[in-house]
Amino acid sequence: MEATSTNTETEPSAGGLGRERLAGIVLVGLGGLGLWAGSDLPFMTSEGVGSGLMPRLLSLVILGLGLLQLVLSRKDPGPSTGRWAIRETIPVILGVVLFAVTVRGYHLGPVTIPGLGLSIACPLAVVASGLAARDARLGELLVFAAVLTAFCIGLFRYALGLSVPVAPWLLGY
Amino acid sequence: MLDVFINLGLGMTVAFTLQNIALCFIGCLIGTLVGVLPGVGPVATIAILLPVTLSLDPTGSLIMLAGIYYGAQYGGSTTAILVNIPGEATAVVTAIDGHKMAQKGQAGLALGLAAIGSFFAGTVATIVIAALGVPMTRMGLLFGPTEYFSLMIMGLVFAVVLAHGSLLKAVSMILVGVLLSCVGADMETGRERMTFGLEMLQDGIEFVVLAMGIFGFGEIFKNLADPESRDVVRSRIGRLWPTLKELKDNFPPILRGTFLGSVLGVLPGNGAILGPFASYAVEKRMSKRPQDFGHGAPAAVAGPESANNAGAQTSFIPLLTLGLPPNAVMALMVGAMMIQGIVPGPQVIERNPELFWGLIASMWIGNLMLVIINLPLIGLWVKLLRVPYRLLFPAIVCFCCIGLYSIANDAAQVMMAALFGIIGYALYKLEFEPAPLALGFVLGRLLEEKLRQSLIISGGSPLTFLQSPLSAILLAIAVMALVLAISPSMRRNRDEVFKEA
Repeated sequence: MEATSTNTETEPSAGGLGRERLAGIVLVGLGGLGLWAGSDLPFMTSEGVGSGLMPRLLSLVILGLGLLQLVLSRKDPGPSTGRWAIRETIPVILGVVLFAVTVRGYHLGPVTIPGLGLSIACPLAVVASGLAARDARLGELLVFAAVLTAFCIGLFRYALGLSVPVAPWLLGY
Repeated sequence: MLDVFINLGLGMTVAFTLQNIALCFIGCLIGTLVGVLPGVGPVATIAILLPVTLSLDPTGSLIMLAGIYYGAQYGGSTTAILVNIPGEATAVVTAIDGHKMAQKGQAGLALGLAAIGSFFAGTVATIVIAALGVPMTRMGLLFGPTEYFSLMIMGLVFAVVLAHGSLLKAVSMILVGVLLSCVGADMETGRERMTFGLEMLQDGIEFVVLAMGIFGFGEIFKNLADPESRDVVRSRIGRLWPTLKELKDNFPPILRGTFLGSVLGVLPGNGAILGPFASYAVEKRMSKRPQDFGHGAPAAVAGPESANNAGAQTSFIPLLTLGLPPNAVMALMVGAMMIQGIVPGPQVIERNPELFWGLIASMWIGNLMLVIINLPLIGLWVKLLRVPYRLLFPAIVCFCCIGLYSIANDAAQVMMAALFGIIGYALYKLEFEPAPLALGFVLGRLLEEKLRQSLIISGGSPLTFLQSPLSAILLAIAVMALVLAISPSMRRNRDEVFKEA
């Protein structure tokens, strides 16, 4: 909690929407999303509770709490949420996605990525995500990625015996 | 009473195989290794390391997890003392006086007292668990679906009341967690629910994916956005073992802390979180020199650390005997047990006695190992603390990816966790606590199952929850707790408990 309070102090209100009001909006949105996603489910059946009862009841209550939060925060919408770390988030997400699509291959429409195994997926994830740090150094990161990859292959594939592909293009597994 | 020791004996024979001791040892070691990293709390540690245990047999995997848990707890205290970055709420108290001691060149003493206090507390708590295990289980067996449902509601209400911050937000988080647990095939009809036709949602959301996303990736986004200033102690660590006099002075705080922690930990809902705060307040009041508190009083480390560890351990009681996880860490343990095909609850002690007692015995072994291996390794942990975050987090990302992928050899799970990471960061930005969400998610399926069973038995009448006397009492307690929590005077007290330290 301390962290956020200092954070909001250093970044005076930017959007002006207010944290508490935004929280209410998010809850209303979640409740609405839940209602919409579960709208095809039967509420009650002849045997008892249908599969739609819990989701719909929960969504309604969440929606209600969101509205309550909006009413409560009307006078004091709370401080701004401050800067959102988009610039730091994207490289990490990119690293994770790169890992996911390369570790055993991926098909999406015309794009086909062959399975490259940990030997490629690990360094990709480490380097891509590592660039998120403001003080990132590429050279250091490359060396670190190589060491870490060797360590991970040794630990997960050989020591723990998980069936993660290592380097199908080189070793065949 | 004799039964307790016979049962513990059975546990010891299970835990004292070479393989299980080795697993406990490795668990403690890697648990501390990851737990010591600044910005990685016990929940994140366990989420990251959980996949490591997947390939083991159920007993071995739980023993290793318990080791990871204690390692993570102890690693968190080490970071709190040496760097002043508490990995979780309960280490906040340790950080206050522990870090002051470290600045005075008494880091060794603080770490030593924390370890000794934790070991003592762990030993007592192990006996408490063994003694309460059987009677609590018997009580659990008396519960029908109706009473179970009400008990879970009460536990969730307690968790809300004890969380800090807005009650409304905590309640919403629990409900969102339960709602998320509804995603996937309906357990009775097999009908797809809220999957948006996506293949990766058909089997529901895997708990590990949710936890690793919110607690693992989410923490990384949080730390990258607001870098914490790290203040690793530069002065010498000092001797680790306290002198006989220091030990004598700190024994009463350890004893009181152990008692407070053990009692609070058993409560449904996250009672364990109050232990260290309560212990700090008690020690300050009983101390001859209360003015030292906040400036490096050894009793302010020994007491709360004992309470922390005792509570951490006795919170296994509601999990093992009733199947109700009282906090996010225990929720992860449920996830791990489910992956191994064990549904936590009163039946475990009957069906898998060697697992139940083996786990309890290994808790004690885990505590012992922490003292034996961790104190000599302090130098190593200090070096690790100096690793810059710009290298730490890519390594964490890499471990998480491999772990996520190996749950089901499915790349979609990895991407889903990244999505939960973004959600976790958004929750942090909006000051929603993620722990109630995890708790609601884990209890969600059980909650729905019991609700449906109760309504089938009662022929669809929701009054059944008030007609069963036990269920009515549990719900009444829940309502009372909620009303008290909303009342203005109680709200002030609640804030004070957390601000006292």
